Amino acid sequence: MMLRGYFRVVPSALLLLWSDLMFAAGALEGAAERQALNPIAIGMFLLFVALTLYVTWWASKATKTSSTFYNAGGQITGAQNGLAIAGDFMSAASFLGITGLMYVGGFDGLILSLGAFGAWPVFMFLFAKRVRNLGNFTFIDVISQRLDRDPIRLVTAFSTILIVIMYLIAQMVGAGTLIQLLFGLPYEWALLLVSVLVLAYVAFGGMLATTWVQIIKAALLLTGVTLIAGLLLADSGFSFSNLLGKAVVNHPKGEAILGAGAIFSDPVQILTIQVSMLFGTVGLPHILMRLFTVPDMRQAKLSSYYASLFIGYFYIALLVLGFGSIAYVAGSPEFFDGEGKLIGGSNMAAIHVASAMGGDLLTGFMSAVCFATILAVVAGLTLSGAAAISHDVYAEVLKKGKPDPKTELRLTRVSVFLIGLAAVSLGIIFQHENIAFIATIPMVVSASVTFPILFLSLFWSGFTTRGAMYGAGVGLVSSIVLIVLGPQVWVSVLGNGEPIFPYDYPALFTMPASVLVMVIVSLRDRSDRGAVDRENYARLLVRSEFGASETELAESGVAS
Amino acid sequence: MTEANVEAVHRKTRQRLLFTGIHLVLYFSFTLNWTSWGTALGTYVGDTWLTGSLLMFVLLILTFIALETVFLMMSRWGAR
Repeated sequence: MMLRGYFRVVPSALLLLWSDLMFAAGALEGAAERQALNPIAIGMFLLFVALTLYVTWWASKATKTSSTFYNAGGQITGAQNGLAIAGDFMSAASFLGITGLMYVGGFDGLILSLGAFGAWPVFMFLFAKRVRNLGNFTFIDVISQRLDRDPIRLVTAFSTILIVIMYLIAQMVGAGTLIQLLFGLPYEWALLLVSVLVLAYVAFGGMLATTWVQIIKAALLLTGVTLIAGLLLADSGFSFSNLLGKAVVNHPKGEAILGAGAIFSDPVQILTIQVSMLFGTVGLPHILMRLFTVPDMRQAKLSSYYASLFIGYFYIALLVLGFGSIAYVAGSPEFFDGEGKLIGGSNMAAIHVASAMGGDLLTGFMSAVCFATILAVVAGLTLSGAAAISHDVYAEVLKKGKPDPKTELRLTRVSVFLIGLAAVSLGIIFQHENIAFIATIPMVVSASVTFPILFLSLFWSGFTTRGAMYGAGVGLVSSIVLIVLGPQVWVSVLGNGEPIFPYDYPALFTMPASVLVMVIVSLRDRSDRGAVDRENYARLLVRSEFGASETELAESGVAS
Repeated sequence: MTEANVEAVHRKTRQRLLFTGIHLVLYFSFTLNWTSWGTALGTYVGDTWLTGSLLMFVLLILTFIALETVFLMMSRWGAR
């Protein structure tokens, strides 16, 4: 009877947990009471900070030009970059949010794991090689080689900045709440601490420092989940089946948690989540930017492959952690408050299971890893936003590709500072707001604007600038309108009874609409610019696939 | 562009789209768990607590990685 209360949750709140962004929103809904200071967690976190600041100092000596600032000089290996991509992507929210959702609903929480993992093969098959071969610093370099550079750069830079800012607000609000929970620090201090550290990493160490922060964090996170999963399995006689049996006994829904339906019932809702997560992830600018840190196309493909291995392993480990949290946390009174609620809410289930398996030491370690995770993700986002402002808008549009290198580098650092300032300010402004809709926007916009433009530029000869502009407009406007008409704004923010649009994540509808408009307008485009766009496709085709022009290939005797 | 280069690029493009298509079919097949067609996935595997749904999750992740491995190997053979 008591357990029933532990699992009583509002279904719409659970939806907020479906990605790392969603976690940030979900964190607001949970109990965010400050915890007592955890000296082990703080000690381990200080160790991480000392190590990463040393890396930043080392990286700052090598970061003297815009090139090294944006892409670490293109000298990161495929394996290192794969781990860095994993570090950029596997957030505290994946660890805490997905484990928390599994704690509540068992198998249904896995839709988030598969959704997040499913993007990586597509990333490799479609984009890794061609994007690397055609770009320099950002994915916008790729499309502007083919389409009319000024308008397309402005539109895609705008969508990049929108994605980064929305993503940052969600991350910062989630970070403030999470750090308050884990370390007992006041919300505003937590935001300031995150921001100052990220500014130090990015402004001084650029992509090189950001890469190593992400690598260190990914290694720590993978070590942590391996330890917890190993201890859970060891305690269950190294039998996953035994672990599932314990979870079934502890959960009020019993055997229902081993199959679908405990949380979600509508298959269309599942499809909306899958489409948003897969195509949204593939189009995220800070992830695409990582492809330019490696020396060649082979390393780019390897980056994606290693990222898949690490991320796939992580989500399989989370399968053990999720059911382990039900088996070892749900039946233990020490993890519940006087009212029978899980201390810190379901998002803390992962930390509690660490505590159940490894005591204060493992709890402190995982808390420090969560903090490090936030820093790594925010650093990647900040760098991507700064590159959109200083490289895509200033250097390429305002200075027509011929900027003064020192001015560009200075502007990049100023942009980093401004983004950091905006992140802290917006994090404080939105502290007590319902930000679920803000957390939804990046994935849906990425799936409906960035992905279609990038895909059609690389794979369709008939694509034109006009088609891209109209399609991007439709993708952006329809995404915002349907999110406003959906449950997160229409019901939760505006207080109406029933949503006009029934789904939280409209990418299942907005992405096809955007692609359709891009195709129809491009087909009907008879302008001179349209003809140039089509000719450019043929010109760039060989370079996109082989990494060199036809003339260069002929000279080297590689092809033709 | 020479015929050979155009053909090589088209072959690689077909390969990319084929692998993406296979991946997407497998990826979206996970939705079956929430439909009546996926009822059988809710049954247990042998004498264990492991259900077909859980097995499907693990197998999908492993299959995706296997697809990527094959794709990488084919790219390497193509380059040679």
